[in-house]
Amino acid sequence: MKKSKHINRREFLTAAGAAAGLPYVIASGVLAARGRAGANEKLTVAHIGIGGMGGYHLNDMKRFRDRGVVNIAAVCDADENRLANAVKSAGAGVQPYRDYRYVLERKDIDAVVIATPDHWHAVQMVHAAECGKHVYVEKPACCTIEEGKAMVAAAKKNKVSVQVGSQGRSQPEAYLAHRYLVNGNIGHISKVTCFHYNSPEDSNPVPDSDPPPELDWDLWLGPMRWRPYNKRYCHGVFRWIMESGGGQIRDRGAHVMSCAMWWMGADGTGPVTVEATGTPPKKGLWDSAVTMDVTYTFKNPDWVLTWNQHTGNAVPAEERTGKEPGGKISRPGYGAVYHGDKGKFVHWGGDGGTWVEKKAREWQPPSGAKDVYKSPGHKEDWFKGIRTGAKTIMNIDAAVGVANLCVLGNLSYILGRKLQWDQAKQEIVGDEQARRMMSRPQRHPYHL
Amino acid sequence: MQSGKPKTALLSAAAATVTAGPVGAKQKKDVDEFIARIKDKSEAVRTEAWLGAGEVGARGIRPLARVMKDDDMEVARAAKRALWRIVRHAGRPGAAKEKQAVAARLTPLLGDKQPAAVRREVLWMLSEIGGVKQIDKIGALLSDKELREDARMVLQRIPGKSSLKVLRAALETAPENFKLNIAQSLRQRGVEVPAPACVKLAPTKKTNVKPIG
Repeated sequence: MKKSKHINRREFLTAAGAAAGLPYVIASGVLAARGRAGANEKLTVAHIGIGGMGGYHLNDMKRFRDRGVVNIAAVCDADENRLANAVKSAGAGVQPYRDYRYVLERKDIDAVVIATPDHWHAVQMVHAAECGKHVYVEKPACCTIEEGKAMVAAAKKNKVSVQVGSQGRSQPEAYLAHRYLVNGNIGHISKVTCFHYNSPEDSNPVPDSDPPPELDWDLWLGPMRWRPYNKRYCHGVFRWIMESGGGQIRDRGAHVMSCAMWWMGADGTGPVTVEATGTPPKKGLWDSAVTMDVTYTFKNPDWVLTWNQHTGNAVPAEERTGKEPGGKISRPGYGAVYHGDKGKFVHWGGDGGTWVEKKAREWQPPSGAKDVYKSPGHKEDWFKGIRTGAKTIMNIDAAVGVANLCVLGNLSYILGRKLQWDQAKQEIVGDEQARRMMSRPQRHPYHL
Repeated sequence: MQSGKPKTALLSAAAATVTAGPVGAKQKKDVDEFIARIKDKSEAVRTEAWLGAGEVGARGIRPLARVMKDDDMEVARAAKRALWRIVRHAGRPGAAKEKQAVAARLTPLLGDKQPAAVRREVLWMLSEIGGVKQIDKIGALLSDKELREDARMVLQRIPGKSSLKVLRAALETAPENFKLNIAQSLRQRGVEVPAPACVKLAPTKKTNVKPIG
């Protein structure tokens, strides 16, 4: 069985009447090929990183365990308090680990869910793939361009199924938006403007100190260069530090721009130039841009994507009853406007909550209209990828493409200049310093 | 210090120091004023100052390195961010001389008169703009227990034969417990290193948390 079945996004677009997502259908005879669980076999999974989103994933996975889809074999975290809570939550038979490499050693584990801070995503995903594990890894996929290349290569070489946690693509209203846009309802789209509120400033800077006893600081830092512990690094707030997170453009950009790339049919493409400006925090450890404007220029086809991060710039959310597929809009502060030559289209959110305008929700496809892939759910889509070899909706190639937008936006902001990007070669052109910054050497032994 | 003077005037004056040759009294005064703004009690003034530091260039490096040791952590942080701003500005395309000047001013800060925190930061600055002239100084830090891991990573990042040569030599002379690190850098640079074997997948850290049941 060819385990890594590549299906181009455009191949998903089938005429109305054909079953949505038909290319995913694989004859049962090919299931349970080496390295892939059969259709009726339970997958054995482990969770690496179980705070924040990791806690959400553990609870979500318990739902699948209750339905007999998976076994949960292990939980892992560098924080012993969090680990103890996860063990209690996961219940009997779940083994705790501090060091994720014990998880990867276990032959009985088929797949891992990685929800550690951003600076760990690439290393852990690559190591998991090298150990033959299928991977669900939180977004954004990578912190550097070279990490992204390594992730794509590792998934391909080891033929594992990777789903990246930009789950906006799998939301019910995302499907409706996608279908609405690809059928030309607002005409040719030449610009997508993403809106988001500011990244926070650290209102309570504190000096460096000893790490708390429950935290393995060396392991938390992992690939990053060593520095003393400061409680403003973790937990959760790693997002506001450029090295470990990168601000809203990475945290939410990996959602909102993921929708844009998917709906624009732009996965596998990239900008030719990236230009960013922004304002920094005035104090504290956090260094991600507070406000930010980034312009990505795409060629062939020509379109422009912008990331505009300013509190108060959101498009007012539409009124809802709560009976819509996505329910009421609970996070109206971010989303995007699609500018077509026949009109505009707005969505809010783009992550676990993706809400789209009424006109897209209520649009009835005429005969002959194009249909698009409808995800059964983000984890369900991953399980399908594991069992069949089908490409996941937020596969690692696509996710790295989106993460690269975030990485390049931040690089342009840091350097204070426009960058030229060669999508085919996956490299910055004509700027020696920026080229060096396409990778970040990693601390031993936490490296790719 | 209160910043009565407009930022643009200060910066253009400071920028002029880069191109005007020897540091005269006026240029020194401009750098002093810039440093005073970095040390200002107002976070807004400090931020405006470090944001404009790129134009100050090489002449701002030594005084900023001193301020990085300030007791006020926010003042020290402003100085560090100003230094980074200088590095990022100097590394722009078409500014080779400026880049070399900045790298040259940074290099002495790797010496042991500076605290490790400053030296570590300078190492990473040089990882972005350092060249052949910095390699020996960085290479020397491979024998410094506190800084050798940073030095190893920085050499990995600086392209060219010189950095590779230093890493190759270090593989022969490094203590056994650091050879793995050097080998990793060489592998990242595309060199085949049969031994020591990579241990990246070998777990080492055990938890004290017990399973339930």
